[in-house]
Amino acid sequence: MREQTNHRTGPVRSRVAVVAAGVISPLGAGLAATLKALREARDCVSPVTRFPVEQCRCSSAGQVADEWLRDVMPNDRKSRRLHRASRMMIGALAELLEQAPDFSPELTVVGTTSGGMSFGEYYYRALQLTGTSAGSPAWIANYPPQKAAVDALEACGLNSPCQVIGNACASGTNAIGHAFECIRTGRYNRVLTGGYDAISELVFVGFDSLQAATPDKCRPFDGARSGLVLGEGAALLALENFAQAAARGAEILAEITGYGISTDNHHLTQPNPSGIGPRQAMERALRSAALAPQAIDYINAHGTATPFNDAAEGRAIAELFGRVPVSSTKGMLGHSLGAAGAIEAVLTILALRNEFLPANINFRVSDVGLDLDIVANKVRPAAPAAALSNSFGFGGTNASIVIQTLKA
Amino acid sequence: MSLRPAGLGWVTPLGRTIDEVWAKLLTGVEAEGTTFGDSLGGKQSHAFPVPPAAIAEANRHPRLRRASAISRFAVLAGLDALRDGKLELDEVSAARTALVFAISNGGVIYTRRFFHDIVKSGASAASPLLFPETVFNAPASHLAAILGITGASYTLVGDGAVGILALKMAEDLMADPNLDRCLVVGAEETDWLLCDAYRRWRLLRPEPPIEPFARPPKGMILSEGAGAVLLARKGDLALEHIHAGGNFAKQTELVRQLDMVCGSFPAKAAVDILIASANGTFVDEAERATAAKRFPTAALYTAKPALGESVAAGGLWQLICAAQALRTQRLPPILHAPAGSGLTTVRSSAGKRWRRAVVTTCGLNQQLAALTLRL
Repeated sequence: MREQTNHRTGPVRSRVAVVAAGVISPLGAGLAATLKALREARDCVSPVTRFPVEQCRCSSAGQVADEWLRDVMPNDRKSRRLHRASRMMIGALAELLEQAPDFSPELTVVGTTSGGMSFGEYYYRALQLTGTSAGSPAWIANYPPQKAAVDALEACGLNSPCQVIGNACASGTNAIGHAFECIRTGRYNRVLTGGYDAISELVFVGFDSLQAATPDKCRPFDGARSGLVLGEGAALLALENFAQAAARGAEILAEITGYGISTDNHHLTQPNPSGIGPRQAMERALRSAALAPQAIDYINAHGTATPFNDAAEGRAIAELFGRVPVSSTKGMLGHSLGAAGAIEAVLTILALRNEFLPANINFRVSDVGLDLDIVANKVRPAAPAAALSNSFGFGGTNASIVIQTLKA
Repeated sequence: MSLRPAGLGWVTPLGRTIDEVWAKLLTGVEAEGTTFGDSLGGKQSHAFPVPPAAIAEANRHPRLRRASAISRFAVLAGLDALRDGKLELDEVSAARTALVFAISNGGVIYTRRFFHDIVKSGASAASPLLFPETVFNAPASHLAAILGITGASYTLVGDGAVGILALKMAEDLMADPNLDRCLVVGAEETDWLLCDAYRRWRLLRPEPPIEPFARPPKGMILSEGAGAVLLARKGDLALEHIHAGGNFAKQTELVRQLDMVCGSFPAKAAVDILIASANGTFVDEAERATAAKRFPTAALYTAKPALGESVAAGGLWQLICAAQALRTQRLPPILHAPAGSGLTTVRSSAGKRWRRAVVTTCGLNQQLAALTLRL
């Protein structure tokens, strides 16, 4: 880590390259499978089978298949004890390192909301039912939220300081944004970033209890939207000082050029209806990237499909950008909370590189209150050069990043 | 760029104001323990709670009406740090202030209550009032709302090292010239479930005291509260170096990793004080070995026998202890330290002015970090 910042003269402004990525989500394990599903606008939401949902309004989620996680690590005693969140992270990191085998992060910044929560549930349920818990030491040791990140580094032979952001649903985008700033200010050259979350009963029931989850399909920005479905997964990005990456001839997947964060103090779980929080985050991201709103070709929206979120976000997008193409990919894979921003950043990079706009599936009828250009139901061919990816969370946390293709 | 701790605040089992708690630590006062009898496993656990009188002021804030204990601790510590720094935020200054929270176990009381209803009665009994307070960033959200902060607010999760990791993040954030200050808060609450979990993890002692540096280690006692540090660009103390450490795969690797971290500090010969995270567990031996090798002349201190192990809050408490020791040139006795160790009495600089302290935090779940503080 280097000190290249002078608060009087302003920070060093290094460009920030994405030199590798890895992803596991309901769309698939790995970039190739994810791209295929994304192109097909595949609905990957399925009935929940991990825990009872009979008493919930919602009974579906985007889920990562267990068989995708089976081969990500050796079948030894220690590995078998790891939480699914750890396995997802190991899988994502292994894929990233296949593209950049020498990538050695000086810092790891990742996001999560609940880490290995289900292990805590197993422990508590066993305690309630039996008063004892024979398996509990392993559950307890592998439950903490930061464990999946530490496990992944260890499994892949890496070691770096690990900052795990728990900013609710904005965590993944906050992590990428902070990692971007760390390189941009010249303090670091290589930062591993992303997010992870595995579906858990407590969180699932929590959203259901708030009536934020839908018994219907997840229909972002639809006029008759009725809520979100949850998801899970992990995604990681290797960020590197652009000049350094270019000098060593690295393949550069995309460039992160801007980041904006805002805090909306309206309510713990509901955004200010005016959309001021999302708007500030997007404005700050544009300012950070030194771009005018007209330079943005596509927005990967937070778009949870809850009435309040989509109204606030949609209003802010319409006011700031006019009719820019917008889609939320959560209809396809669900809302993976702390992983969402990271997965959506990967999806946005895939879209930029492969010249299409991801579909906003399950869209039937426009919301009369929102004047938006929704990429409805099918991917749209396009050659976007700059995209914005949004994530907003409980606690009023809002985050936006700008991702660009390489300038000619 | 060295950040300056410009305001301090803590809510602890020994009370709240900086001077009051420091005076108690200097006179060897130990927090009063409480017994949790609600354990379903049939075993009682002990912890050091925050006295209710210390947080009575929290009731004044409408935003905290339904908030969990951890949010109350965090908000009061944060407000105290601003008060100590003689700073009253308005719209302009709030916009130039960032917030970084450190959390480990988080809102365990509401989380347990919420999930208990699910286990006992099914999902339809789950309370929508409790769920939002279980989210890791709920305390940060409450404090941001009360202070009017609309910019950067981050909650970091981790083990006992997360407090220093949060300070490191604050340092990185302050590379932005648009920020004048960053308020870093670490907070934790405890109940019987947490004690039960740490006991099954074989890290907890059945009852007080915490006996630091005992061989073999005898275990820790959990506590709760919050610590807050207002970091600015001016002040009498400087955070010289913050090393965000790394991760240790096995307990046996901790000694090597901590030695590597502390070996990276320049001017290590001039370290006068080492504020350790020793809590009666395996971390004690690593810190003892590092102290002997790297800082042989430094005065050693851990507040955990007096205050308990408060995980995320603990790292901030350690920094506050370092600041107080440098400012007052006195170091409290380490309660229940081994006889003949010379650690059980009040130490003072005695003519040679203490100028530099090292703070080491070794978490129980693979993370470690350290920093140096200079007067």
